[in-house]
Amino acid sequence: MSEAAVPSAHLVATADGAVLQLAGSWRTASLAAAESALAAIAWPSSLRVDASQVQALDSAGALLLATHLQRANIPASALDDAGLADGESRILEQVRSHLDAVTAGLRPQREGLLEHIGRSTLTIWLLIVGHLNFLGMTLAFLAQALVSPRRLRLRELTAQLEQVCLNAIPVVALVTLLIGVVFAYLLGLQAEQYGASIFVVDGVGIGTTREFGPIIVAIIVAGRSGAAFTAQLGSMRLNEETDAISTLGLSPMNVLVLPRVLALMVALPLLVFIGNVMALTGAMFVAGTMLEITPTTFLARLQDNLALKHVYVGLAKAPVFALFIAIIGCRMGMTVARDTRALGIATTSTVVQSIVSVILLDAAFAVLFQHLDI
Amino acid sequence: MNAAVAAPARSPAAQDRAPVIEIDNVVTRFGPQTVHDGVTFDVQRGTLVALIGGSGTGKSVLLREVIGLHRPTAGRIRLLGTDVWAATEEELNLTKRRFGMMFQDGALFSSLSVAQNVAVPLSEHAHVPGDLLQSLINLRLLQSGLTAEAGRKMPSELSGGMRKRAAIARALALEPEILFLDEPTSGLDPTTARAFDAMIRSLVDDLGITVFLVTHDLDTLLTVVDRIIVLAGGKVLTDGPPAEVVHYDDPWIRSYFAVRTMVS
Repeated sequence: MSEAAVPSAHLVATADGAVLQLAGSWRTASLAAAESALAAIAWPSSLRVDASQVQALDSAGALLLATHLQRANIPASALDDAGLADGESRILEQVRSHLDAVTAGLRPQREGLLEHIGRSTLTIWLLIVGHLNFLGMTLAFLAQALVSPRRLRLRELTAQLEQVCLNAIPVVALVTLLIGVVFAYLLGLQAEQYGASIFVVDGVGIGTTREFGPIIVAIIVAGRSGAAFTAQLGSMRLNEETDAISTLGLSPMNVLVLPRVLALMVALPLLVFIGNVMALTGAMFVAGTMLEITPTTFLARLQDNLALKHVYVGLAKAPVFALFIAIIGCRMGMTVARDTRALGIATTSTVVQSIVSVILLDAAFAVLFQHLDI
Repeated sequence: MNAAVAAPARSPAAQDRAPVIEIDNVVTRFGPQTVHDGVTFDVQRGTLVALIGGSGTGKSVLLREVIGLHRPTAGRIRLLGTDVWAATEEELNLTKRRFGMMFQDGALFSSLSVAQNVAVPLSEHAHVPGDLLQSLINLRLLQSGLTAEAGRKMPSELSGGMRKRAAIARALALEPEILFLDEPTSGLDPTTARAFDAMIRSLVDDLGITVFLVTHDLDTLLTVVDRIIVLAGGKVLTDGPPAEVVHYDDPWIRSYFAVRTMVS
């Protein structure tokens, strides 16, 4: 309370020995002042406390007093008969009964560098093993669904297809169109100097269909649908909906995971195809305005020089990317810890993991196709 | 002997007798639906008061109105002498340091450990000397029936009962004059719930805190509460010590306490 007096403590020598006279308000609000008052005391070996002038005492104030007395090795009997009102002596009594447990050394544990590295490595290792396990489980359920297609939930599958494929078309189309424009423009700047403008068509053709199309679209989908999978499944788990599904005798793998994985594996190649077309359209536009290559020439050159295998390679990578994005997204959602902060962390982690895995997979594909001479 | 000497130095007795919560003719409407139609009551310092009523009678809404989270349509609410809905931001913030609230599911900050949760009000509003902070946090944990070790845990690692205790420890951090509890024993097993009742009672008896709670727990109502306020039809139906309220002649109250009468 604002009008309360500043707490004070004075040591007075009397005929019966030293007396610690306390006055003022010993409440949480004035702890700092009380602390400095007590810090100034030169503690004798024994004393008696006179708190009859204390206006108010709460348990924080009582704790401060009791810890100082304890630190100065003053026996607890010093507080007997301190002249406190009934309520306040009960507060003091309660604090004193907890005193040992309260002041027991409870320093926070600090983590060493080595321990930190070890813990992080173990976390990543367990994450990868967990993902692989989940991948295996999903494939097992997929195999079952292929044997008896009745297990496949068509309604959920189509709903997911609408979400991850149809609704993703505008953003995929826009981004790939712009990538095509930028790619053709930069390539055109270089090729023009050597009078080799027409090779822009070859470069853009191979570049987008084989590498950029699949990668860019996969990254968009990882950020869009992968994160959505984690958020959806994670909040269902927090809400115990996934538990309810199992209790009803259904399998969350069948009801939730499989439709999402299948939908994404179908959707990504389709989106990559749309992305390829849009990127080439963008490039065609730049070629027409900047390099004076007419759309007719552009398309004729593309048909002559872009081997179809590049398009197939790009499209073949897409379902694999999709499988990994969906597996990571679903597993992160299904294993989210039951608190609200964990959901945010899991969603972020999904996006990071999916993008990293897409790029690693692409590098692996590059090496593989090199050795296969494709 | 010293009590007599000390008396004049203390805050005037009149202040102790003034009500800490004054609810005056509060009306609450949500669109066409009237929840409170002139609710009036006072709560005295140092008492343990329970608010009960059927579902939809606006118990939780009233609680939210008292602590400044929801504005009533009409009426006045004074909390520790401050008019909650007419006070300036600054006055209200000062008042907010003088009461604590435990939400039904704890509302612990999930990114902080239990000890850090308790430390939030302490480090925001009180200048606690460094080495005392940890002891004070431990004291709050012990006062709410946890152990000092529990402070290291994250809220997601706690059971329902511990979560509620941790929430009380946070609400107690600044040693409030009033503690508001929303369904303190809901979702707890009977043994834990009774220990909870004893803890709440000791806050009133030992620390002199006024406790105002919303509950459905008949054991809490009949064993530890000083006074029961019954909300029905948008008004206070009856108000008094449990022994009187139980025998009040009203169909809802009769059926509410009937379960207990059958058992005993």
